[in-house]
Amino acid sequence: MNKVYLFKYGLTMLFLTLVITAFAQKSPFTGKVVDELNGPLPGATIRIKGTNTSTVTDNNGVFSIQQSGAQSVTVTITFVGYETAEKVINANQPVTVKLVPNSKSLADVVVIGYGSVRKTDLTGAVTNLGAKDLNPGPITNPLQQLAGKAAGVSVTQTGSEPGTAPSVRIRGITSLIGGNDPLVVVDGVQGNMDLLKQVPPSEIESVDVLKDASATAIYGSRGAPGVIIITTKKNKNGTSTVEYNENSSLDVISKRLNMLNADQWWQQAQLYGVPASANHGSNTDWYNLLTRNGVTQNHTLSFGGGANGFNYRASISAILQNGIVINSNYKNYIGRIQATQKALDDKLTLTMNLNNGIDNANYSPPSIGRAAFTSNLFSNIYVTRPTDPVYNTDGTYYTDPNVFQYINPYAVAQTVVNNVKNNNLFGSLKADIELTKGLTAGWFGSWRKVDGNTGYYLPAESTVASAIDNQGIANISNYHQDERLMDISLNYKKDFGVHHLDAIAVYEWQGQTYNGNFAQAKGFINDIATYNALQLGDLSKVTPGDMSSYKNDRKLVSYLGRVNYSFQNKYLFTASYRRDGSSVFGVNNKWGNFPSASVAWRLTEESFLKNQHVFSNLKLRGGWGITGNQQGLAPQNSLQLVGYAGVTYFGGQQITNFVISQNANPDLKWETRKQTNIGIDFTTLNDRLNGSIDAYTATTDNLLFNYTVPQPPYPYPSIAANVGSLLNRGLELTLSYQVIKTKNTTLTLAGNGSLLKNKVLNLSGSIGGVPLNTDYVGWGSNSYLIKGKPIGTFYILKHAGKDAANAETVVDQNKDGVIDQGNMSADRVIEGQATPKYTYGFTPSFSYKNFDASMVWRGSGGNKIYNQIRSQLSYFENLGKANVLQSAVPTGLYTSQYGSDLWLESGSFLRWENLSFGYRINTAHIKYISSLRVSVTGTNLLVVTKYTGIDPELNVSGGSGSGGDYGIYPRTRTFSLGLNVVLK
Amino acid sequence: MRKILTSILIIGLGAASCTKVSENVYDKYPADQFYGSAKGADVALAGVYSQVGGNWNGVGYAGADNGWYDLNCFSSDEQVIPHRTTGDWQLDFARLYQRQWLPSDLIIGNTWAWLYKSVYTANLAIDQLTQAKADESKIAEAKVMRAWFYYLLIDDFGDVPFYTSNNVTVDKIPQTKRKDVYDFIVKELTENVDKLSETKGGVYYGRFNKWAGYTFLAKVYLNAEVYTGTAKWTECLAACAKVTSGGYSLHPGDIDATNPVGSKYYELFGDKLPDDETILAIYVTENIVSRNIYTIRSLNGANGLALIGFSGWNGTIVPKEYYDKYDANDIRRKQFLVGSQAGGVTYTADVSSLDNPGAGPNEGIRNIKFFPAKPADGSGESNDFPIYRYADILLMEAECNVRLGNGAAAKPFIDQVRVRAGLSALAGNPTLDNIYDERGFELNWEGHRRQDMIRFNKFTLAHGFVPAVGDFRKLFPIPTSALNANPGLKQNPGY
Repeated sequence: MNKVYLFKYGLTMLFLTLVITAFAQKSPFTGKVVDELNGPLPGATIRIKGTNTSTVTDNNGVFSIQQSGAQSVTVTITFVGYETAEKVINANQPVTVKLVPNSKSLADVVVIGYGSVRKTDLTGAVTNLGAKDLNPGPITNPLQQLAGKAAGVSVTQTGSEPGTAPSVRIRGITSLIGGNDPLVVVDGVQGNMDLLKQVPPSEIESVDVLKDASATAIYGSRGAPGVIIITTKKNKNGTSTVEYNENSSLDVISKRLNMLNADQWWQQAQLYGVPASANHGSNTDWYNLLTRNGVTQNHTLSFGGGANGFNYRASISAILQNGIVINSNYKNYIGRIQATQKALDDKLTLTMNLNNGIDNANYSPPSIGRAAFTSNLFSNIYVTRPTDPVYNTDGTYYTDPNVFQYINPYAVAQTVVNNVKNNNLFGSLKADIELTKGLTAGWFGSWRKVDGNTGYYLPAESTVASAIDNQGIANISNYHQDERLMDISLNYKKDFGVHHLDAIAVYEWQGQTYNGNFAQAKGFINDIATYNALQLGDLSKVTPGDMSSYKNDRKLVSYLGRVNYSFQNKYLFTASYRRDGSSVFGVNNKWGNFPSASVAWRLTEESFLKNQHVFSNLKLRGGWGITGNQQGLAPQNSLQLVGYAGVTYFGGQQITNFVISQNANPDLKWETRKQTNIGIDFTTLNDRLNGSIDAYTATTDNLLFNYTVPQPPYPYPSIAANVGSLLNRGLELTLSYQVIKTKNTTLTLAGNGSLLKNKVLNLSGSIGGVPLNTDYVGWGSNSYLIKGKPIGTFYILKHAGKDAANAETVVDQNKDGVIDQGNMSADRVIEGQATPKYTYGFTPSFSYKNFDASMVWRGSGGNKIYNQIRSQLSYFENLGKANVLQSAVPTGLYTSQYGSDLWLESGSFLRWENLSFGYRINTAHIKYISSLRVSVTGTNLLVVTKYTGIDPELNVSGGSGSGGDYGIYPRTRTFSLGLNVVLK
Repeated sequence: MRKILTSILIIGLGAASCTKVSENVYDKYPADQFYGSAKGADVALAGVYSQVGGNWNGVGYAGADNGWYDLNCFSSDEQVIPHRTTGDWQLDFARLYQRQWLPSDLIIGNTWAWLYKSVYTANLAIDQLTQAKADESKIAEAKVMRAWFYYLLIDDFGDVPFYTSNNVTVDKIPQTKRKDVYDFIVKELTENVDKLSETKGGVYYGRFNKWAGYTFLAKVYLNAEVYTGTAKWTECLAACAKVTSGGYSLHPGDIDATNPVGSKYYELFGDKLPDDETILAIYVTENIVSRNIYTIRSLNGANGLALIGFSGWNGTIVPKEYYDKYDANDIRRKQFLVGSQAGGVTYTADVSSLDNPGAGPNEGIRNIKFFPAKPADGSGESNDFPIYRYADILLMEAECNVRLGNGAAAKPFIDQVRVRAGLSALAGNPTLDNIYDERGFELNWEGHRRQDMIRFNKFTLAHGFVPAVGDFRKLFPIPTSALNANPGLKQNPGY
């Protein structure tokens, strides 16, 4: 081999020498430009300093430039997104120049929806994160990559059940029942949060989070909860890449609840007069039986290439997760291909995207248990007595007929089948044609289809009462989602001297159809076929509701436009307007208007600040806009419809029963959110300190809610309508400081924080002349919606002690001798809120030569948690049929009629989310590898909190049930190894 | 270039036609189109009946839990669910039995919500039937049902909001005096009851026929003194006579070894109730149409498995002092389980505690009056539920006669009921206490006891574990949820 190479090189050198001899006057200076991964950088500009001589690198990143007579020259190398480099080159001594990504210009372009702007021209509140800013580690959902990284963007992971996505809230809670999930846009395709499942985490180029109304109003009636725009990696012009990314982690349970063991249980049982018949004499560690160490793997192979106006990138990913509860797992496979072709002298650009994601999960049953304790499977471990055996002597699963609807959690975990499979497919085509200079017409169409099915089998041996009654229950459901989007746009960009204009007009049509069916059979002779052969069930056990189907659709038609104008790069102005018509609105309110405007002033461009050196960038921003929220409106919500209501007996036979399912509300419409934002961006201390501060106030009007209506005359005690209003206020700060910035070493301290305040302004008004009296609405365990108070305010009885019989006593606040447990009871007191008042993240990073390290610490606080599971596991009245916490022994409560503040705990926490070390192995001597990086990552390494439950990160989505701990799947702590290889 | 612009314009215009945002409905029926037809009107009437059967979440007259039946039965002296030392059963039921309920109690709110949803459904049916020019008897049927729901409302709550058309706002629905609602009920019944069908059973099984209508009227008159202060004993007797003219008789009480409880008498509480005695029933088929949980809720786990094949819930028991009143020869005593039972369980008659620490796992007498009819499962049986039956008519006739001072006329009515139960006729003319006790023996667990206790002035007295309470407890409080939604409502005195 070596001989061959020597021979080749020798020939080349000989040839070069001949050439040099032939053109002795001109000296060639050659070299290669590579990126931080040692991949070639085609298209980089090489200029000989002090001359106009320049060239660009070819597809292999190689350049050659000549300068008469010189033996050495100094060249400058520039490439968008990289720091400009200078290099002295000696004639005939090829060099390799490695460019360093420019932290400032990497995020140069910000995607703002239906277009992009330079970051310097941005007028709204937008957080831009590049691939490098995203959290590393065993990522199963792109949202996990954002945790702690953006001010005002709170990512909450409740438990680590495989396949369970985190929730995200942008600038707090904007709606009560209307949905708080942001709109997700992936390469132009709009969708709900489930669209994120189709994004391979390592294929993300950038994430832009639109936060304020001036940024989101362009999305009109879907913009209120914020917008997350994800741009995936594209192939760099004309290069070829083959890259493999891998991350494998070991997942362990980070915290468990301490229940009584068998001896302790029996000791307490005797104290509390539990009959000996309740002690079944075993010593079972249910917790260990049902848990194991989990494994999470991520693999992505991506490659791309292109030439002559053609470019493609393809990738295939596998995300494989084995949960820490036995028999729970999740698999997600994503294949994507993206191709761009230019034509008509580069005036026409066609971009096609195809993405197919196949996911498959085995979940533990979500809602199971005895009548007195229905929860997830995991929480059922806690209530099972440690003295209960796992098996009967005959080898069948143990069950106790003296405990009403007893379940054996191990039997459930081993025998219940709960599969969910989804096929997610989307394709899109974008065609842009430049009509004249600056004027572009575009067409974009996307089609997404989700075909899913679930299969569930509850065998009699699971010990679940209904399964025993029916000798097995099997069901399948199929569902289909069909989401289409089409838009036609006209874009005009023009510079008139110091004026810069960028305007766009769009017509957009979106249609979504949902349909599906459900079938169930019961009574199986054996469990072999599980849910795969419903016809094997017992026909005589078919009951109403065992089959059903549905179909509905929604349409959204929009006209929108935006103008960006800047003067001397100093004064920036953006205005947008959108008009949305939606099928789900009531007939009286079919169309809504959503305007916005914002301005920015770049002070550092002003002559009076030109000569100062304190600030290299200083920009003031201000914006206002109206956005809407319509995701809470389901199709047909505004109509009075008659639907299926089981079976009734009439006229001597069983007949299908019909019921009016809801009241008509022709006025039903979107929620309106008015938001004002002011902000400042600055760079100072020799470019070392970068920061932004944003302050906003937002009011949600026409608040969708199930308002309390009097019964009579209403058949139901509530009605969905647009009546009340909410207020959100907040302050956000993002800072990044480069402590060390030398050739070999960098140390950056970065962080963000946000303060959030929300308040229920009003829940009352009238609907059709009927006065509403909605206040003190239960919003979780002891948390309420109270006018003038934050969402989910805890209004709760105060624990006093216990009486002689060890029953809990509470403070009789109004001293009337009666403890009233009603919602408005004067015996309750206000004690904090369910949603956090502040969130923060601290993200330092360090690098030295080939070594790098980064950390994420994040936290939130100011909220309370009602630890309901602790209360349920603390009363000794339950001891005869259940286990209790070790902590219940000193508390010694026999029973309680109340849910008092004894169970209310601080929800503040600081989590060491991520610690990662990476090392880039020198590949200069490895034949086929241009870049090789290995990394070690730990996640959830430490939680600092006073909260006594498994994890303080619970449902703070703002929806009903917020702020309560009802028992969660445990959080995992993970340790992972990562590998990134780029092939030559 | 012009061509391109033109084609964009064409595409744009084409798209502009895609601006319709009207709604499509694929999988439901629009209400206005649905009820307009004759079939739709029938369905509207059937919908009112669907309100009567018991369902989870406290819906229905009887059969499931946490609704009207539990409220009216557990507040009397005939049954209770004690908390268990094994940790089972919350204290709510024991609290109801001890008559310490609060306006915010779930069962009270459920009962209110169920009854007003029923009134709404009846109003809707009356409107739809009238618009569809339906058969007069069907309109009458819906009106009688609405009156029946109002009767249940004033019986529990006293002065209640009153409305007869759904197209009104809440300010037009004043809280109406108990007496005025009573007057409405009597008027509505007297106007409509003769329009009802005379058919017994068949297509009228589970429906208000003429005889069920008169039974209902008799009940209203029977309690008129409680509702209005003015007794209507004679009117009650007249209504009872109408029912008798329908040709009812007592179902035999013969010993029957094939019957799981041991007597033909228990066919009155089985599947498809016999037409000879049953006047109005709720049709039940295991969890499909309504449900009946009364036996499985009473038995304990092992006894349930042995006796009926499903683990019992170890809930309801019969207080010892109630059981002790039964004569040893009474066939109606067979419904109680005490002592050694199938499944190796021994139930003790004595109960040590109702709430704290609660009753031991096998304490308390159990009841199998509704011995599970198949199909059944662990969450409900198929026993139909008797709302009204002829024995009740006989006892009402006996009571009215005694109250009118006509003891001799009363005697044959009560004796019929006693003899069928395997007892001897009374030695002398019946007293009010005889009637009260006999009603207790015959109609226990059928939803009558609270009303009877109030009418006989026994409701507030102490019994067993339960101390005496104030008179205001004769009415339940207006639920907190209703007061919150409608500040115009006034709470009943004492709460």
